[in-house]
Amino acid sequence: MEHEQLGRILPDGVDTSESDELDATWRMLGAIDSPAPNSERMRARLDAVIDAVEHTHTVPRPRLFDSYVLQGLAAAAMLVIGIGIGWFAGSDRLRALRDGESAAAVAEAERTRPAQTDASAQIAAMRSEMHDLREMVSLSLMQQQSASERLKGVTWTGQLDRPSGEVVSALLDALMHDPNVNVRLATIDALERFASREEVRRGTIQAVSQQPSPLVQIALIDFMVKTNERESMPALRRLAMDPQVNDAVRARAAWGLQQLG
Amino acid sequence: MHAVWKGDVSKLGVLFERHHRPLFDFLARMTGNAAAAEDLVQEVFVRVLKYRATWRDEGRFETWLFRIARNARADFFKNRGAEASIDEAAEYPSRAPLASETLARDREVARLQHALMLLREDKRELIVLARYREMKLEAIAELLGVEVGTVKVRMHRAVKELRDIFLRLNESPSWNTNNSVGSCPTA
Repeated sequence: MEHEQLGRILPDGVDTSESDELDATWRMLGAIDSPAPNSERMRARLDAVIDAVEHTHTVPRPRLFDSYVLQGLAAAAMLVIGIGIGWFAGSDRLRALRDGESAAAVAEAERTRPAQTDASAQIAAMRSEMHDLREMVSLSLMQQQSASERLKGVTWTGQLDRPSGEVVSALLDALMHDPNVNVRLATIDALERFASREEVRRGTIQAVSQQPSPLVQIALIDFMVKTNERESMPALRRLAMDPQVNDAVRARAAWGLQQLG
Repeated sequence: MHAVWKGDVSKLGVLFERHHRPLFDFLARMTGNAAAAEDLVQEVFVRVLKYRATWRDEGRFETWLFRIARNARADFFKNRGAEASIDEAAEYPSRAPLASETLARDREVARLQHALMLLREDKRELIVLARYREMKLEAIAELLGVEVGTVKVRMHRAVKELRDIFLRLNESPSWNTNNSVGSCPTA
């Protein structure tokens, strides 16, 4: 084997006696065994992970659907919708002008109404598509490796009028598991709109005691106060009384309890 | 890896079968702790899944994999405290003490194993990669992001320091027959 003789991988100029000594050590290293892995157990653990990923996540496809492509698509869709809305708004204006002119013009306008109803349906469909696209962009960005991209994803959710449960779940997941503190802080702001949802209430109460970052804990306590979440009081009480908890967090929890009480 | 990269997560099992043994060996020798190595191998494959989009079909897959393994190990000890592995290696020998002096050679190997665990991590890593993983110098250089010449110089220093520690342990009265031989601790 190539590396059984150390001399071959040492730099030039090492003197022979030293090289021989080191070579003896190198050869003796070959006598140190390593424990064998428990492959079966390790494979079972990995299979559990694979299973969980396959069943719980829609795996983001790399490259093809990266954020730049999605952002481009979103921009193109917005342009098309903008032109569409402009065109139909122009038609409405024309109809209003005609309303003031004559009965004949009104009758003419009424004749065109079915076409306008059809146009309204088209606008609604386009709005729905736009909404779906925004959701897709948000979810995709939230799964990127770069923290700033994930931050963008969280911010994008603010543009959604009625986000689906998937978006709210993604925000809660980011709050609990995102390694970046700034992303976790941003999710708290983003979740504020959905504070009345049961899963958000439960998720944020759970997060307040599990967060490793005092900054995020404090932001969550503020969130509880702002949303008047009285069910969080037991969790805040535990924080306020736990000597292991960061002093600032304890003080904030005590303040939160006063506000909610 | 190409299939995993394209989203076929089930193919991760194939990668695991191919690579988990060398990874485990590297991590067990680096941490001196079989249980930790097992956890870390798991972590490496989870990271492969998580970061598969960053894989580029250009360099060697093994280099990419070991880069992930190095980072996972570094994070592990960042969380646990830098000296955890060495303490465990010293405190939890895997085999019963030897009484017979006829096994002097085995005892020497045990000293060398101990010396290896006392060696600075970056130096130990070089030795483990070259001696046990039989990684070529070019691959080590790529993994560490340095020139091949630099690897050679560092290798020289690492083996020299290992030998010095080994010799000091030979002279040390605290190293006696209570120490074990043979394999990495199983924790």
